[in-house]
Amino acid sequence: MNALILTGSPKGRDSSSFLLGSRLGEALRNHGVTVRDEFAHQALRTEEGTRRLLDAVDASDLLVLAFPLYVDSLPAPLTRLLELAAERRTASASPGGPLLAVLVQCGFPEAHQCDTAVGICRLFAGRMGMRWAGALAMGMGGQLGGGFRKLPGGGRNILEAIDRTGESLATGGDVPGEAMALFSRPLVPRWLYTLFGNLGWRVQMRKNKARRPLAYRPYAK
Amino acid sequence: MKALILDGSPEGDSLTPVAVLGMHSALAGRGTDVELVKLRELDIAPCTGCFGCWTRTPGECVFPDESRDVLRSYIASDIVVYATPVTFGGYSSQLKKLLDRFIPVLDPRFTVVGGEVHHRLRYRRYPMTIGLGTLSAPDPDAERLFLALVARNGLNVHQSAEAAVLVGETDPLSARSLAERLLDRAGIAP
Repeated sequence: MNALILTGSPKGRDSSSFLLGSRLGEALRNHGVTVRDEFAHQALRTEEGTRRLLDAVDASDLLVLAFPLYVDSLPAPLTRLLELAAERRTASASPGGPLLAVLVQCGFPEAHQCDTAVGICRLFAGRMGMRWAGALAMGMGGQLGGGFRKLPGGGRNILEAIDRTGESLATGGDVPGEAMALFSRPLVPRWLYTLFGNLGWRVQMRKNKARRPLAYRPYAK
Repeated sequence: MKALILDGSPEGDSLTPVAVLGMHSALAGRGTDVELVKLRELDIAPCTGCFGCWTRTPGECVFPDESRDVLRSYIASDIVVYATPVTFGGYSSQLKKLLDRFIPVLDPRFTVVGGEVHHRLRYRRYPMTIGLGTLSAPDPDAERLFLALVARNGLNVHQSAEAAVLVGETDPLSARSLAERLLDRAGIAP
């Protein structure tokens, strides 16, 4: 089996999406799957990169989209890639397609805020003739910045969810329901996440030596 | 009253421009000052996810492209219309590229809205969000998802939002009728 893990974050290899995707890649490799990593934002900057990426999508038996939630949906370049892939599939009318799975995380505490983005990916799979394998969706994605080790409990639930998913996908199965539940389990209480989140923005501002107040309104009349 | 129509149609899309025409004439008929922005004609880069618009130059993206002008118009409007071909239940990449650059209009700090966490508002008022999607053939799943997405985008600015989808509509008069019904539903008085 050939798997393509497509990271849909502008931060590429430095992103939380790649952190999650590369762990899934490791789990898939452990079960004999050949894994290739690609990055949507970088590839779409050139015609050659776009063509190479679309070829990679067509050549894969398993496509994994790993991305951050942007405004209740997929980041625009990843949306563009889905449009291009769908145009190409219609044009070539190639039957069937790979299995599609999703890894998505959002900066809000609630994993269900990713539902519309997951729905978009599911419909894309249907239009492409792909088999929808399911999605791992999590909230509190802001905590992934320090890697798995810095997560409460070492990110045990997340790692277990990804490993179980890798095992299932490697044999053509779906994302297991237990893995979805584990992955979406809150890392810390909601109040604690929002408290530290709110403090974190101010810390970042100080680090960046921002000269405007946080609540500045540049477009107010 | 001022309305901003964001036309997210790609090159070659024949349906969304008809929907836009219908909405434009319905809004103008209600005495609204309408600004139409064809997004594919603007030079707008994708969001880089740097959060500089929150922690470096709060309220404004650090990259000075044409998205800044659109955001200024957005904040000055009473109504914003997201016009787009329904793309797997979501927006076109043209429209999405701009919406990804909308985050500076929010304050990064968290608050609870409708039982879930969202960002605080930066401005005192925001335009009412109206989604106007087009499909070439009936697709109930895509339509449902599109309506849900627009509703969620409304929540981001702590509001309810209205949306509708035109299916295979090529007649501007019919498109205007649907736009009229949508504006009625949104409580925008003639």
